[in-house]
Amino acid sequence: MINNHPTADMLTEYSTGALSLAPVISITTHLQFCDRCRESVASLNALGGALLGECEAAPISQQLLADTLDRLDAEPANVFEVEEPEQPFLDPKLEDQLPAYLHKFVGRKPLHWQSLSSSVSVAPISVGESNYELALHRLNAGGRTPAHDHKGMELTVVLKGSFSDENGMYHEGDFLIRQPGDVHRPAATQNQACICLSVLEAPIKLTGLKSVLNPFMKFNPS
Amino acid sequence: MSDQNGPNWNDLLVRVGSHQDKAAFGALFSHFAPLLKGFLLKGGGLDPEHAEELVQETMIKVWRKAPTYAPAQAAASTWMYTIARNTRIDWLRKHSKRDQQTDELVAEELFDENETSSPFTALIQTRNAGHIKTHLRELPQEQLQVLTLMYFQGKSGQEVADELNIPLGTVKSRVRLALQKLKLKLSPNGEDSNVVFAQ
Repeated sequence: MINNHPTADMLTEYSTGALSLAPVISITTHLQFCDRCRESVASLNALGGALLGECEAAPISQQLLADTLDRLDAEPANVFEVEEPEQPFLDPKLEDQLPAYLHKFVGRKPLHWQSLSSSVSVAPISVGESNYELALHRLNAGGRTPAHDHKGMELTVVLKGSFSDENGMYHEGDFLIRQPGDVHRPAATQNQACICLSVLEAPIKLTGLKSVLNPFMKFNPS
Repeated sequence: MSDQNGPNWNDLLVRVGSHQDKAAFGALFSHFAPLLKGFLLKGGGLDPEHAEELVQETMIKVWRKAPTYAPAQAAASTWMYTIARNTRIDWLRKHSKRDQQTDELVAEELFDENETSSPFTALIQTRNAGHIKTHLRELPQEQLQVLTLMYFQGKSGQEVADELNIPLGTVKSRVRLALQKLKLKLSPNGEDSNVVFAQ
């Protein structure tokens, strides 16, 4: 049972195309687990479709259809067979830990896991975005992170296993929003490691993580 | 989901996918290309020539992706909306100075719209489409304005607030009221949010 979801506002901005890459990836990841939010997004998209249908039509050049058909004629015949691109860097050990959707981002480049403490490691995923850092976090079974607070917003999707903090217990598919200033101290459950996808708006104030992530960060600290 | 007297766009789109039917594609094009152009022009920042470029790009994607279209999941207009939105996102990213290294990532991969849904979802979608169609024209102007800015221009709630010079909370409540009026139920814990994304 998933108890933590993106807000309605987030889903709306997701559907309208206002969000940056990393938040979009985190929400789509949540949708892999959550039928309910998937339905919400389908509804919001339907509103987009209705607005498109009611839109004031703008006359188009007479040639545009003919040009488009010419371009379609030039298409290779096998265009309908969509091939899954190869993911050369996908760690086979991770493969069954992540939703298939994430493979295309995680498998693009080799992952570099860095230890933050004896029980926490992080692997940045480069999607070339300037405002956010996307990363996988792994909490060893029974592991506990140092207490930390957040300078910027953090979005977390639990991919495998579960963890808890002062506010509750989080399971696969849960989508957590940490606001700047929130302090928490997550701990993984005893019997299983926990893997999360996280989106950081600015670095967590924690020695170690900062130095790990800084080369990838292009945020503007306030 | 189609106009009562007009062609059934969903069926035409299915024919494009199953038979590579160019006549069906032509009919869809004649109807949707001017709407797509209007949609993109309302977004601002595009001149008519670029808008047509994007219309063409969108329609070519429609042709390529038509075999994956499932009418039970979404009306043709909804499906085309997502393709047009993704095309616009990619175009804006390509022409912005930020995010230079992301050329190889395209919006279509990020949104992953083609997941199968249950028959139950299909039922909800049909019902939603009915509600939206019935009530969209009854929305107060101020709610419609906010939705138009968000959907047509891809503006965030904060950007809409800045543009209209009203508080972010007002933007959010207008969206919420509009969604209520259209009887669109969104997932829980959507009530309170002060989340503002960096742009």
